Amino acid sequence: MIAETQLFDPVRALAERTSAVDALVLSAWQQHLAPDASSGAALLAVGGYGRRQLFPYSDIDLLLLFGSEKSATGRKSEISGFLQQLWDAGLRVSQSVRTPAECAELHDNNIELSISLLDQRYLAGDAAVYGALLGKLPRFVHGQRDALVRHLSRMTRERHAKYNGTFHHLEPNVKEAPGGLRDLQLVSWLAQIAGTTPQAFAATVRLPELDEPRRYLFALRGYLHHRAKRDSNVLTFDAQEWVAEQMGVGEPALMSDYFRSARAVYRAALRAREVEELRASSLFAQFRDRRSRVSNADFTVARERVYFRAPQQLEAEPALLLRLVEFVARHGVRLSLEAEQRLAAQLPRLRTYFASSHPIWPEIRDALSLANAPLALRSAHETGILGTLFPELEAIDCLVIRDFYHRYTVDEHTLVAIQTLVELPGSKNAGAAPFANLLSEVEQRGLLVFALLFHDAGKGRPQEGHVDASLRLAEGAMERIRMPAPERDTVRFLIRCHLELSAAMNGRDPFDPATARYLAHVAGTVENLKRLTLVTYADICAVNPTAMSSWRAEQLWQLYLLTYNELTRELETERIEEAEADSPEQSAFLEGFPTRYLRTHTPADMERHMRLEQDSRERGVAVDLEKAGGAYRLTLVARDRPFLFASVAGTLSSFGLNILKAEAFANRHGTVLDTFSFEDPLRTLELNPSEVERLQSTVERAVLGRADVRQLLRSRPRVAPPGRKARIQPAVHIDDEASQSATLIQVVAEDRPGLLYDIASTISSRDASIDVVLIDTEAHKAIDVFYVTAGGRKLAADKQRDLEQALLGVLQG
Amino acid sequence: MKKIEAIIQPFKMDPVKEALKSIGIDGMTITEVRGHGRQKGHKEVYRGQEYNVDLLPKMKVELVVSDARLDEVLKALTAAARTGKIGDGKVFVYDVAEAIRIRNDDRGDAAL
Repeated sequence: MIAETQLFDPVRALAERTSAVDALVLSAWQQHLAPDASSGAALLAVGGYGRRQLFPYSDIDLLLLFGSEKSATGRKSEISGFLQQLWDAGLRVSQSVRTPAECAELHDNNIELSISLLDQRYLAGDAAVYGALLGKLPRFVHGQRDALVRHLSRMTRERHAKYNGTFHHLEPNVKEAPGGLRDLQLVSWLAQIAGTTPQAFAATVRLPELDEPRRYLFALRGYLHHRAKRDSNVLTFDAQEWVAEQMGVGEPALMSDYFRSARAVYRAALRAREVEELRASSLFAQFRDRRSRVSNADFTVARERVYFRAPQQLEAEPALLLRLVEFVARHGVRLSLEAEQRLAAQLPRLRTYFASSHPIWPEIRDALSLANAPLALRSAHETGILGTLFPELEAIDCLVIRDFYHRYTVDEHTLVAIQTLVELPGSKNAGAAPFANLLSEVEQRGLLVFALLFHDAGKGRPQEGHVDASLRLAEGAMERIRMPAPERDTVRFLIRCHLELSAAMNGRDPFDPATARYLAHVAGTVENLKRLTLVTYADICAVNPTAMSSWRAEQLWQLYLLTYNELTRELETERIEEAEADSPEQSAFLEGFPTRYLRTHTPADMERHMRLEQDSRERGVAVDLEKAGGAYRLTLVARDRPFLFASVAGTLSSFGLNILKAEAFANRHGTVLDTFSFEDPLRTLELNPSEVERLQSTVERAVLGRADVRQLLRSRPRVAPPGRKARIQPAVHIDDEASQSATLIQVVAEDRPGLLYDIASTISSRDASIDVVLIDTEAHKAIDVFYVTAGGRKLAADKQRDLEQALLGVLQG
Repeated sequence: MKKIEAIIQPFKMDPVKEALKSIGIDGMTITEVRGHGRQKGHKEVYRGQEYNVDLLPKMKVELVVSDARLDEVLKALTAAARTGKIGDGKVFVYDVAEAIRIRNDDRGDAAL
């Protein structure tokens, strides 16, 4: 229920103004056109005036209907006298002069006239002429039903697009924006076009009750016109203050009632439009029905809507709710009204269930990683599912935080940010391309979406600070869904630091080395920097549609670049000197690793590495293999020796395994720690458990020089290179300045089996030692960074040239 | 009347706005621009590939002040925008023939 307020009485006020204007118009008509009324002229009110919904200062839409074109032309001077009198009386008149036959024609450029005729009301004049129109009108509307629906749909879609398809505006236009009076009108027009009453139409299409929202929106528009003394429909911050005072309510209550009304109207308009649109186009309906192929054991899809197969199942099995969210996120189909109603009935029970802790993070992560996650979240938000799963987010529902730059309410800002992120790959925004590439390099996209979902959850709590409050709320949610610790750390980092890059863009000199150093310190790792950059990009885009100008995108990219380079430079230059270790052994083990090691590994990882180091003492090498998510991770500790890195890379390739990432660090005492993440595209290891052991022992033998990697690789079938167009131009970049003690070699090339082995063995064959390696693969592109020394020093210039040529030779095959 | 056109570092926008506000100047026009003077562009290497950054992001601030206030405004603006390094930007001053406030047709200093 909308708060009991001293509502401006819209029905009375509008009807009163209509009667007053009727009197003025009729009197002018009497003076100028009535004497000849019998000669075939009639006066009609159309549009809002026709509906007797004349807001203060609104235009007066009139239709002057003439029996023939000739009779209209002959009475030009009377018409102009009539209109002039109305203008002089202070009315803003828009008039059209037509014959009944013209009114019953549909032209692209007079659609608005055809639609305004739906609201025609006879005022005065020749009843026979009006009768002629009445005779044609129903047939015209019936005959052109589909065309009218299509035109209305197109106009509505264009109008909604102007407002970014959302009603969550901080300063909404109560007439034109989604959920505004124009949408209410749309529902009523569609009913009329369908040849039925609004009530019957609402029942057929199953629309929610709209009386209260209508009354509220009428009142708002009435107040706005009254205040501005003109046809002004934007509920600006100033206007909100004034209207709230008139209604005797607070501004938050005013806006929350507005959003509730707008939500009901918007949903009704969408539904009415879609039902009619589907009916109007059988082809369209067929296309949409084809989607039913995506139906599964839980859900069916009919006419582009999801239905529960067995709704009662929801009572017994709350997890069905998660599968529903996943289904929408996977297939991009909205919920049917029926499914929504079933859900609504079960929400209190589901709420109780999800309020206690359940290990549902994997299901949530999967749904958030899918292409239609934004739609799924939006539907979940509209239907209360989101609040059921995460009550922490309910406080930002339609929350208005006044800000000069922000255009949307906090919940909408959150959803737009998520949509921006997920839709980055197809984005046409200027400057989006590098960020889209960055997204393709980031793992666990669902985690980014989760962080965005909560990044502003704490808004509207000034006493706590929004970042702290968001962190606290996310913490509770993560605990309840039992998110694993490393993922929680990432979410915490992203929420805690989500303003750092924006703040640096506005307040720091990007070319001051201290800026890159500071941001490198904030991000800690390249992986976190990438995630933070993407979250920042999405967050700024969601402020308003023009906030992320290409200028700003460039600034953000520049900052990313400088920080990225700082972090990779730091790999070599910043080594662990004295670690806070649990034991002297641990301290000795860590000494000399890049500081990155401490940031990217948990204490449990370190413990495992230490154990491997102890194991390796006897045999010279120790190998550990584990499955993590969809990929495998091989960790190896050994005494450093030439070709070590190359031989592991080569062995993995010889088993048909696809290396995704690799790191190699050496400590001060000549112990090497290598980590390889790889995929098993042929499922060799999964289907042949004995191969796991053989892989481990082959790696060990290769490292110790007891297996010939070249020979192993020879038995692998060669993969044909991709077509010339798809090929990535190989590039080798050597940088002698990046590090104090090593030469940096960056290689970008088309990924292929054995590539890493070829690169690493080329480096090793030049008597160069690989100190630090970072390997990354994005799609078919391999991006490898090596820090290389010869005899403990940087490579000499001639050796660099020689190595560059040799590498290019290998890459060009 | 004089028109001041200042090209400044983006991260100096807030300090400049604050400095102008503190001497009672609220009205200004701000544009995101790109350009280079002596700072020139520079090269960045990202993952083995070179990025040329020829035109650097800058902010353009435009405002019109009365002759009497010119020196004071320039002083506040340049002090706030200065880091002392190449790339701080430039300020240009032009003569203005007339200023008109559209709302009420105020002219000259009264329109500022």
